[in-house]
Amino acid sequence: MEFLSLFDLTFFLLAAFGTLVGVIFGAIPGMTATMAVAVCLPLTYALGLHHGLALLLGLYVGGISGGMVPAVLLNIPGTPSSITTTFDGYPMARKGQGEKALRICVIASLVGGLISALVLFLFAPVLANFSIKFSYVEKFLIILLALSVIASLSSSMLIGIFSGVIGIWLSLIGDYSISDGGNGHTRLMFDFMEPYLFEGFSLLPVLIGIFGVATILLEAEKGVKSDLTHERVKVSKSDGAGALAAFKGRFTNLTRSSFIGTFVGMLPGVGGSAASVLAYTQEKNLSRDTSQMGKGAPQGLIASESANNALTGGALIPLLSLGIPGDATTAVLIGAFTLQGIQVGPLFIPENTTTWYVMMTALVFANIVMFFLMFYAIKYIAKVVMVPKHILFPLIVMMCVVGAYAINYGIMFDVWTLLIFGVLGYLIQKIGLEVAPLIIGFILGSQAEVYFVKSLESFGTYTIFFTRSPIAMVLWALIAASVLFSIVIRLKARNKTTTQTP
Amino acid sequence: MKIAKRATTLLSVGVAALSLGLGSMAAMADGPLRGNVRVLIGSTSTGGDTYQNASIVAERLAEHLGLNIKVDAVGASSAFRTLSRDSRGNTLMIFHDQSYLGHVYGVQGYDDIFEEYRVGPTLAVNPGNAYLVPKNSPYETLDDIIEAVGNGETVRVAIQPGGVSEIGFSALKNAIALEHPGQEDNLVAINTGSQSDKNQQLFDGQADMISGTLQANEQYTRLPEDDQKAMRFVWLTARQSIMEQSPEEGLGQTSREQLLEYVEPNVQVPMGDGENFTFDKEFFFLYNRDMDPAIVEQIDTALAEIYAEGEIQNVQQSLFFIPNFMPSDEAEAHLHDKMTRYQEIIDNLQ
Repeated sequence: MEFLSLFDLTFFLLAAFGTLVGVIFGAIPGMTATMAVAVCLPLTYALGLHHGLALLLGLYVGGISGGMVPAVLLNIPGTPSSITTTFDGYPMARKGQGEKALRICVIASLVGGLISALVLFLFAPVLANFSIKFSYVEKFLIILLALSVIASLSSSMLIGIFSGVIGIWLSLIGDYSISDGGNGHTRLMFDFMEPYLFEGFSLLPVLIGIFGVATILLEAEKGVKSDLTHERVKVSKSDGAGALAAFKGRFTNLTRSSFIGTFVGMLPGVGGSAASVLAYTQEKNLSRDTSQMGKGAPQGLIASESANNALTGGALIPLLSLGIPGDATTAVLIGAFTLQGIQVGPLFIPENTTTWYVMMTALVFANIVMFFLMFYAIKYIAKVVMVPKHILFPLIVMMCVVGAYAINYGIMFDVWTLLIFGVLGYLIQKIGLEVAPLIIGFILGSQAEVYFVKSLESFGTYTIFFTRSPIAMVLWALIAASVLFSIVIRLKARNKTTTQTP
Repeated sequence: MKIAKRATTLLSVGVAALSLGLGSMAAMADGPLRGNVRVLIGSTSTGGDTYQNASIVAERLAEHLGLNIKVDAVGASSAFRTLSRDSRGNTLMIFHDQSYLGHVYGVQGYDDIFEEYRVGPTLAVNPGNAYLVPKNSPYETLDDIIEAVGNGETVRVAIQPGGVSEIGFSALKNAIALEHPGQEDNLVAINTGSQSDKNQQLFDGQADMISGTLQANEQYTRLPEDDQKAMRFVWLTARQSIMEQSPEEGLGQTSREQLLEYVEPNVQVPMGDGENFTFDKEFFFLYNRDMDPAIVEQIDTALAEIYAEGEIQNVQQSLFFIPNFMPSDEAEAHLHDKMTRYQEIIDNLQ
């Protein structure tokens, strides 16, 4: 119980402050949890390890959660892992249910965060041993499983798959990085593009462009006739009870998505966005009624938000029990330890029990603070949609530009990326391609490539994808089921329409 | 009204305090280097040794020069590009031997740093560049591996191509070519990325040896043998004289005495000229080629004073780095020699 003496008021204040700042970072398009942690990392010198960790974990939890706000209200994923939140959140906001949508997200986030913290606390070393059973092959299959969401997410399967392939193609532009074990040569571009596109398009400017800027362009096209948004969008009041009611019968979804989030977070190198995409896919495949998903169904929000918050605990598992960060933010967080000369590796937890308890406390506390902070601030935050468009949109564009410029510490090409993809996103919708599959292809494409190539390099045969391990076989079964489900759902829907219109 | 007045007073006091603060800051910064300074590092990781070294130095330099200095982990290609655009001195870079090894290995995005940039002072050495095998590996020592490869056995080594992680592999291959000509191709490189990928290759049985670091892998070497993750050091590439300067208690629970067992002369990787291969990973500044020489001078002098105070060495050593300050000119000559030596090994293999 020696660690109890470490908890002073400053500790909790720092965790709460971190959460608040994190939420703000997450809510601003282009600012991420990773950035928040990176900016505050040098503070750990002054604060000391335990106080520093309280602040950084607060930032982490807050940053991941804050992403839901612009995702729901403005159709801009504040962080890459809240992309699936836009699918149902924005339609709900347009129906005037923004406040309710956000409340659902906050509750789901809390549950996801706490479940993953519990899993981290109880099973970290065991799960770390499990996670190393995932070689390149299994990681490739996980990504493939997440990609299979494209089939069920698109309104026309063929166009959806086509859009997804374009997304994957876009993700392959740039070099096959040496830090991924590649050859460092660029492809899919002309020589003159190399100075700009050596590392390909940055994820976040693409996301914000294709969602945010494109949405603004589409709205702008409608003109200023219905300028005062609140005349068109009614903001219906929602209280906690209304949001809670949305969870009725969704317990399985909530738990499943939280575990998926934790699990994906646990696998190093399978980025955070895969977690919410995977949870969303599974809900879409396994839920009895999915007809409303993508049109404003709370179940989509529950899946997405519980999964992306569950990432936090999940990603800390390999960090603290293997010394390997599970996602981009924990990769920055590891600096808090190394700057203080503390090794993180398989013996971290047994050798630093005090720090371990401190971290767990900060993590749980940050989740609770996040909940209260957001749950009660929502009714004010949700009023954003009432700001007249001619004021709101220029502000959003400005924030997007600043965010895009800042994301890689001041690269002007990222701003161009934002604008290019803004226009592209607009055109894509005009010519009837689908945005969601395209962006999922873009997010997961380059990882899929790396793991595919590495699997072949390591094992030298295509059959390894099927025979590598029982885990691989289970994953194939899940992929097959995912594809089959979406075909069956589509056939059912088609039969329905043909019977309705004879 | 009262509140508004109070607020205005508070605000003006704040502004006054701020301008005073800034004024004193500006007064301190009277050298040729002014304004905000970004130190870019050639790694994207904030958990790695480059970030650690850069932040130790940046913090003290900022204090000494009265400037704002911020370390940004932007990665090699981005850092080089940004550095070559800014000759004012407000963008500096800290990186390690990868900066010239990348060029020697012909990696895209790496120019000759001695031609395209200006090499600044060296700061510290990380003696932790290591090679590891699984704890239950049949190979007890590096000699066993050289012998096995010489006898026609294939040994797979997971490395990240084109740099620090590969140079030890190249040297080993060179040593095998010298002792067992024609057999060196039995030492096979497995190209991987991050440390976690390399570890994973070992866990999967896809590699027989991996390149790693003392800092990242020491805990793995203390796991029981029946643990799938357990590893054993077979080689630390640092010079003996460098390792001897490390803290006596070593790192984690591995003492300096134990670490010295994996260093020359206990581990021999002959280079052919009677010398033994060693590699110390050194951290140093890189500047824009056209940066004002007065700034070079200013940083050299400031660092000389900081190192003379002696506090920075304690911090570096507590994080298991060996302080190694050399002013710019000396550093440039030293690193150029180092590059020439390694160039020979790599050329021998081609």
